[in-house]
Amino acid sequence: MKLLIYAIVSVKDAPGTLNSLLTGMKGTSGMPLYSVPFNEVSVVVSNINSEGLNASQTDAIGYAGLIETLAQKFTLLPMRFGSVMGSTQEIADMLGKNMNEILRNLEKVEDKFEFGLKIFCDSEKVRAGLKAKSAASAKLIDKPAPEIKHSVYLDYVNQKLKEHRLEELLMAYVDSVIAEIKGTLARLNSIDKFRKTGAEKNIIDAVFLLDKNKKAELIKVVEGFKKQYPELDFILTGPWPPYSFIDITIK
Amino acid sequence: MHDNIIDRSKDVTILELLDRVLNKGVILTGDIVISVADVDLIYLGVKLMLSSVETMEKLKSGRYITSEKA
Repeated sequence: MKLLIYAIVSVKDAPGTLNSLLTGMKGTSGMPLYSVPFNEVSVVVSNINSEGLNASQTDAIGYAGLIETLAQKFTLLPMRFGSVMGSTQEIADMLGKNMNEILRNLEKVEDKFEFGLKIFCDSEKVRAGLKAKSAASAKLIDKPAPEIKHSVYLDYVNQKLKEHRLEELLMAYVDSVIAEIKGTLARLNSIDKFRKTGAEKNIIDAVFLLDKNKKAELIKVVEGFKKQYPELDFILTGPWPPYSFIDITIK
Repeated sequence: MHDNIIDRSKDVTILELLDRVLNKGVILTGDIVISVADVDLIYLGVKLMLSSVETMEKLKSGRYITSEKA
Protein backbone atom coordinates (compact mmCIF):
# COMPACT_ATOMS: atom_id res chain seq x y z
CA MET A 1 0.00 0.00 0.00
CA LYS A 2 1.57 3.27 -1.13
CA LEU A 3 0.97 6.65 0.46
CA LEU A 4 0.15 9.92 -1.26
CA ILE A 5 1.72 12.81 0.64
CA TYR A 6 0.00 16.19 0.87
CA ALA A 7 2.10 18.33 3.18
CA ILE A 8 4.73 18.38 5.88
CA VAL A 9 3.09 20.18 8.77
CA SER A 10 4.68 21.87 11.78
CA VAL A 11 2.85 20.63 14.85
CA LYS A 12 5.15 21.98 17.53
CA ASP A 13 2.50 24.39 18.88
CA ALA A 14 -0.54 22.12 18.73
CA PRO A 15 0.38 18.47 18.33
CA GLY A 16 -3.16 17.13 18.87
CA THR A 17 -5.04 19.60 16.67
CA LEU A 18 -3.94 18.16 13.33
CA ASN A 19 -5.41 14.72 13.92
CA SER A 20 -8.76 16.10 15.02
CA LEU A 21 -8.84 18.31 11.90
CA LEU A 22 -8.05 15.34 9.66
CA THR A 23 -10.80 13.21 11.17
CA GLY A 24 -13.55 13.03 8.63
CA MET A 25 -11.55 14.72 5.85
CA LYS A 26 -11.20 12.78 2.61
CA GLY A 27 -8.19 12.85 0.34
CA THR A 28 -7.66 11.94 -3.32
CA SER A 29 -10.01 9.17 -4.52
CA GLY A 30 -12.04 9.63 -1.33
CA MET A 31 -9.40 7.96 0.84
CA PRO A 32 -9.28 9.02 4.51
CA LEU A 33 -6.47 11.34 5.57
CA TYR A 34 -4.17 10.63 8.48
CA SER A 35 -0.82 11.86 9.73
CA VAL A 36 2.58 10.30 10.20
CA PRO A 37 4.25 12.06 13.16
CA PHE A 38 8.01 12.56 13.54
CA ASN A 39 9.42 14.91 16.19
CA GLU A 40 8.03 18.42 15.61
CA VAL A 41 6.41 17.65 12.27
CA SER A 42 3.67 15.45 10.89
CA VAL A 43 3.19 14.33 7.32
CA VAL A 44 -0.39 14.27 6.04
CA VAL A 45 -1.06 11.26 3.83
CA SER A 46 -3.75 9.04 2.35
CA ASN A 47 -3.47 5.50 1.05
CA ILE A 48 -3.31 4.63 -2.63
CA ASN A 49 -4.53 1.28 -3.81
CA SER A 50 -2.11 -1.18 -5.35
CA GLU A 51 -3.02 -0.25 -8.93
CA GLY A 52 -1.58 3.20 -8.39
CA LEU A 53 -3.30 6.51 -8.76
CA ASN A 54 -5.08 7.51 -11.93
CA ALA A 55 -5.25 11.13 -11.01
CA SER A 56 -7.18 13.70 -12.97
CA GLN A 57 -7.13 17.48 -13.04
CA THR A 58 -10.02 17.40 -10.58
CA ASP A 59 -7.87 15.35 -8.21
CA ALA A 60 -5.06 17.89 -8.51
CA ILE A 61 -7.49 20.68 -7.67
CA GLY A 62 -8.88 18.70 -4.71
CA TYR A 63 -5.35 17.97 -3.52
CA ALA A 64 -4.50 21.69 -3.60
CA GLY A 65 -7.76 22.48 -1.78
CA LEU A 66 -6.82 20.17 1.07
CA ILE A 67 -3.43 21.79 1.41
CA GLU A 68 -5.10 25.20 1.51
CA THR A 69 -7.43 24.07 4.29
CA LEU A 70 -4.48 22.82 6.31
CA ALA A 71 -2.50 26.01 5.62
CA GLN A 72 -5.24 28.08 7.26
CA LYS A 73 -4.40 26.46 10.61
CA PHE A 74 -0.81 25.25 10.36
CA THR A 75 2.57 26.25 9.03
CA LEU A 76 3.34 23.70 6.35
CA LEU A 77 5.42 22.75 3.34
CA PRO A 78 3.06 21.80 0.50
CA MET A 79 4.12 18.79 -1.55
CA ARG A 80 4.04 18.76 -5.32
CA PHE A 81 1.00 16.81 -6.50
CA GLY A 82 1.75 13.14 -6.92
CA SER A 83 4.36 12.78 -4.19
CA VAL A 84 4.21 9.14 -3.22
CA MET A 85 6.13 6.99 -0.73
CA GLY A 86 6.02 3.28 -0.05
CA SER A 87 5.24 3.12 3.68
CA THR A 88 5.08 5.09 6.92
CA GLN A 89 8.55 3.76 7.73
CA GLU A 90 9.89 5.22 4.47
CA ILE A 91 8.34 8.55 5.41
CA ALA A 92 9.90 8.45 8.87
CA ASP A 93 13.31 7.67 7.31
CA MET A 94 12.90 10.51 4.83
CA LEU A 95 12.00 12.95 7.61
CA GLY A 96 14.97 11.84 9.70
CA LYS A 97 17.39 12.36 6.80
CA ASN A 98 16.01 15.77 5.80
CA MET A 99 14.89 17.22 9.12
CA ASN A 100 17.31 20.17 9.17
CA GLU A 101 16.24 21.35 5.72
CA ILE A 102 12.58 20.79 6.57
CA LEU A 103 12.80 22.82 9.78
CA ARG A 104 14.73 25.60 8.00
CA ASN A 105 12.01 25.84 5.35
CA LEU A 106 9.21 25.69 7.93
CA GLU A 107 10.84 28.54 9.84
CA LYS A 108 11.08 30.61 6.65
CA VAL A 109 7.35 30.28 5.87
CA GLU A 110 6.03 30.39 9.44
CA ASP A 111 2.88 32.54 9.72
CA LYS A 112 3.24 33.63 6.12
CA PHE A 113 1.14 33.35 3.00
CA GLU A 114 2.14 33.53 -0.63
CA PHE A 115 0.55 35.97 -3.07
CA GLY A 116 0.92 36.03 -6.83
CA LEU A 117 1.00 39.15 -8.97
CA LYS A 118 0.75 39.01 -12.73
CA ILE A 119 1.23 42.21 -14.68
CA PHE A 120 -0.21 42.54 -18.16
CA CYS A 121 0.18 45.29 -20.71
CA ASP A 122 -1.00 46.17 -24.13
CA SER A 123 2.54 45.96 -25.45
CA GLU A 124 1.72 47.74 -28.72
CA LYS A 125 0.35 50.69 -26.80
CA VAL A 126 3.29 50.77 -24.37
CA ARG A 127 5.75 50.47 -27.28
CA ALA A 128 4.02 53.35 -29.07
CA GLY A 129 4.28 55.46 -25.92
CA LEU A 130 7.96 54.63 -25.47
CA LYS A 131 8.62 55.32 -29.16
CA ALA A 132 7.01 58.74 -28.90
CA LYS A 133 8.99 59.54 -25.76
CA SER A 134 12.22 58.40 -27.36
CA ALA A 135 11.55 60.42 -30.52
CA ALA A 136 10.83 63.51 -28.43
CA SER A 137 14.07 63.17 -26.47
CA ALA A 138 16.02 62.50 -29.69
CA LYS A 139 14.72 65.78 -31.11
CA LEU A 140 16.14 67.67 -28.14
CA ILE A 141 19.64 66.55 -29.01
CA ASP A 142 19.11 66.54 -32.73
CA LYS A 143 22.20 67.16 -34.82
CA PRO A 144 22.16 67.57 -38.56
CA ALA A 145 22.59 64.08 -39.96
CA PRO A 146 25.46 63.57 -42.37
CA GLU A 147 24.27 62.90 -45.85
CA ILE A 148 24.27 59.17 -46.44
CA LYS A 149 22.99 57.49 -49.54
CA HIS A 150 20.04 55.24 -48.84
CA SER A 151 20.22 51.62 -49.76
CA VAL A 152 18.07 48.56 -49.09
CA TYR A 153 20.74 47.19 -46.76
CA LEU A 154 21.17 50.42 -44.84
CA ASP A 155 17.41 50.80 -44.44
CA TYR A 156 17.20 47.23 -43.20
CA VAL A 157 19.97 47.78 -40.64
CA ASN A 158 18.38 51.04 -39.49
CA GLN A 159 15.02 49.35 -39.10
CA LYS A 160 16.54 46.53 -37.04
CA LEU A 161 18.42 49.04 -34.92
CA LYS A 162 15.21 50.94 -34.22
CA GLU A 163 13.43 47.71 -33.24
CA HIS A 164 16.31 46.75 -30.99
CA ARG A 165 16.28 50.17 -29.29
CA LEU A 166 12.54 49.87 -28.77
CA GLU A 167 12.95 46.44 -27.15
CA GLU A 168 15.66 47.91 -24.93
CA LEU A 169 13.31 50.72 -23.93
CA LEU A 170 10.57 48.20 -23.15
CA MET A 171 12.92 46.11 -21.00
CA ALA A 172 14.11 49.25 -19.20
CA TYR A 173 10.46 50.15 -18.59
CA VAL A 174 9.74 46.66 -17.17
CA ASP A 175 12.84 46.96 -14.96
CA SER A 176 11.65 50.32 -13.68
CA VAL A 177 8.22 48.85 -12.81
CA ILE A 178 9.88 45.95 -10.97
CA ALA A 179 12.20 48.31 -9.08
CA GLU A 180 9.27 50.49 -8.04
CA ILE A 181 7.22 47.50 -6.83
CA LYS A 182 10.18 45.96 -5.03
CA GLY A 183 10.92 49.26 -3.30
CA THR A 184 7.34 49.65 -2.12
CA LEU A 185 7.01 46.04 -0.98
CA ALA A 186 10.24 46.28 1.00
CA ARG A 187 8.19 48.26 3.50
CA LEU A 188 6.06 45.15 4.10
CA ASN A 189 9.15 43.00 4.73
CA SER A 190 8.10 40.65 1.99
CA ILE A 191 10.31 38.08 0.35
CA ASP A 192 9.72 38.37 -3.37
CA LYS A 193 10.57 36.71 -6.65
CA PHE A 194 10.17 38.54 -9.94
CA ARG A 195 10.32 37.09 -13.40
CA LYS A 196 10.37 39.07 -16.62
CA THR A 197 8.42 36.78 -18.87
CA GLY A 198 9.46 38.29 -22.20
CA ALA A 199 5.88 37.70 -23.34
CA GLU A 200 3.88 40.22 -25.32
CA LYS A 201 1.13 40.67 -22.74
CA ASN A 202 2.02 39.08 -19.41
CA ILE A 203 5.22 41.03 -18.89
CA ILE A 204 5.91 40.29 -15.21
CA ASP A 205 5.17 37.33 -12.94
CA ALA A 206 5.87 37.89 -9.29
CA VAL A 207 5.27 36.04 -6.04
CA PHE A 208 5.51 37.43 -2.52
CA LEU A 209 5.85 35.74 0.83
CA LEU A 210 4.18 37.94 3.38
CA ASP A 211 3.09 37.86 7.03
CA LYS A 212 -0.48 36.59 7.20
CA ASN A 213 -1.63 39.81 8.85
CA LYS A 214 -0.27 42.03 6.05
CA LYS A 215 -2.77 40.99 3.39
CA ALA A 216 -4.74 44.25 3.65
CA GLU A 217 -1.55 46.29 3.30
CA LEU A 218 -0.53 44.36 0.20
CA ILE A 219 -3.92 44.96 -1.37
CA LYS A 220 -3.58 48.67 -0.66
CA VAL A 221 -0.14 48.72 -2.25
CA VAL A 222 -1.38 46.98 -5.41
CA GLU A 223 -4.28 49.41 -5.62
CA GLY A 224 -1.68 52.17 -5.57
CA PHE A 225 0.21 50.49 -8.44
CA LYS A 226 -2.98 50.30 -10.47
CA LYS A 227 -3.38 54.06 -10.18
CA GLN A 228 0.31 54.71 -10.82
CA TYR A 229 0.43 52.58 -13.97
CA PRO A 230 -2.93 52.95 -15.73
CA GLU A 231 -1.45 51.36 -18.87
CA LEU A 232 -0.89 48.08 -16.98
CA ASP A 233 -3.27 45.44 -15.63
CA PHE A 234 -2.46 43.92 -12.26
CA ILE A 235 -3.86 40.54 -11.25
CA LEU A 236 -3.29 39.68 -7.62
CA THR A 237 -4.04 36.15 -6.45
CA GLY A 238 -3.86 34.49 -3.07
CA PRO A 239 -3.40 33.89 -0.28
CA TRP A 240 -1.72 30.62 -1.24
CA PRO A 241 0.25 28.12 0.79
CA PRO A 242 3.95 28.93 0.31
CA TYR A 243 4.50 26.78 -2.82
CA SER A 244 6.99 29.10 -4.48
CA PHE A 245 9.29 29.68 -1.52
CA ILE A 246 10.35 26.18 -0.67
CA ASP A 247 13.87 25.28 -1.63
CA ILE A 248 14.11 21.66 -0.71
CA THR A 249 14.35 18.50 -2.76
CA ILE A 250 13.72 15.50 -0.59
CA LYS A 251 16.36 12.84 -0.89
CA MET B 1 -13.63 46.68 0.02
CA HIS B 2 -9.93 46.23 -0.68
CA ASP B 3 -10.50 42.53 -1.25
CA ASN B 4 -12.08 43.28 -4.63
CA ILE B 5 -8.59 43.63 -6.05
CA ILE B 6 -7.81 39.95 -5.50
CA ASP B 7 -8.73 38.05 -8.60
CA ARG B 8 -11.22 35.30 -7.90
CA SER B 9 -12.27 34.55 -11.43
CA LYS B 10 -12.51 30.79 -11.80
CA ASP B 11 -10.15 30.46 -14.76
CA VAL B 12 -7.35 32.51 -13.23
CA THR B 13 -7.68 30.74 -9.90
CA ILE B 14 -7.57 27.26 -11.43
CA LEU B 15 -4.61 28.08 -13.64
CA GLU B 16 -2.69 29.59 -10.76
CA LEU B 17 -3.60 26.70 -8.51
CA LEU B 18 -2.58 24.03 -11.02
CA ASP B 19 0.63 25.88 -11.76
CA ARG B 20 1.51 25.73 -8.08
CA VAL B 21 0.41 22.22 -7.24
CA LEU B 22 1.99 20.68 -10.37
CA ASN B 23 5.16 22.76 -10.60
CA LYS B 24 6.05 23.91 -7.12
CA GLY B 25 6.19 22.72 -3.55
CA VAL B 26 8.43 20.05 -2.09
CA ILE B 27 9.77 17.70 -4.73
CA LEU B 28 9.91 14.07 -3.79
CA THR B 29 10.89 11.01 -5.69
CA GLY B 30 7.78 9.02 -6.39
CA ASP B 31 5.92 6.87 -8.81
CA ILE B 32 2.50 7.69 -10.13
CA VAL B 33 0.24 7.57 -13.13
CA ILE B 34 -1.52 10.78 -13.95
CA SER B 35 -4.16 11.72 -16.43
CA VAL B 36 -5.02 15.29 -17.12
CA ALA B 37 -8.54 16.03 -18.26
CA ASP B 38 -9.13 14.20 -21.49
CA VAL B 39 -5.46 13.47 -22.09
CA ASP B 40 -4.37 9.86 -22.23
CA LEU B 41 -2.56 8.58 -19.20
CA ILE B 42 0.94 9.84 -18.91
CA TYR B 43 3.34 7.67 -17.00
CA LEU B 44 5.66 9.77 -14.97
CA GLY B 45 8.56 7.80 -13.68
CA VAL B 46 10.65 7.85 -10.58
CA LYS B 47 10.76 11.60 -10.26
CA LEU B 48 7.30 13.00 -10.76
CA MET B 49 7.11 16.10 -12.87
CA LEU B 50 4.17 17.34 -14.75
CA SER B 51 5.89 20.42 -15.84
CA SER B 52 3.33 23.13 -16.35
CA VAL B 53 -0.10 24.19 -17.34
CA GLU B 54 1.39 25.17 -20.68
CA THR B 55 2.62 21.62 -21.13
CA MET B 56 -0.81 20.33 -20.24
CA GLU B 57 -2.34 22.49 -22.93
CA LYS B 58 0.19 21.17 -25.43
CA LEU B 59 -0.61 17.65 -24.34
CA LYS B 60 -4.31 18.26 -24.75
CA SER B 61 -3.80 19.44 -28.29
CA GLY B 62 -1.52 16.49 -28.98
CA ARG B 63 1.34 18.73 -29.97
CA TYR B 64 3.83 17.69 -27.35
CA ILE B 65 4.40 14.77 -25.06
CA THR B 66 7.03 14.58 -22.38
CA SER B 67 7.81 12.87 -19.15
CA GLU B 68 10.80 13.35 -16.98
CA LYS B 69 12.53 10.49 -15.33
CA ALA B 70 15.22 10.76 -12.73
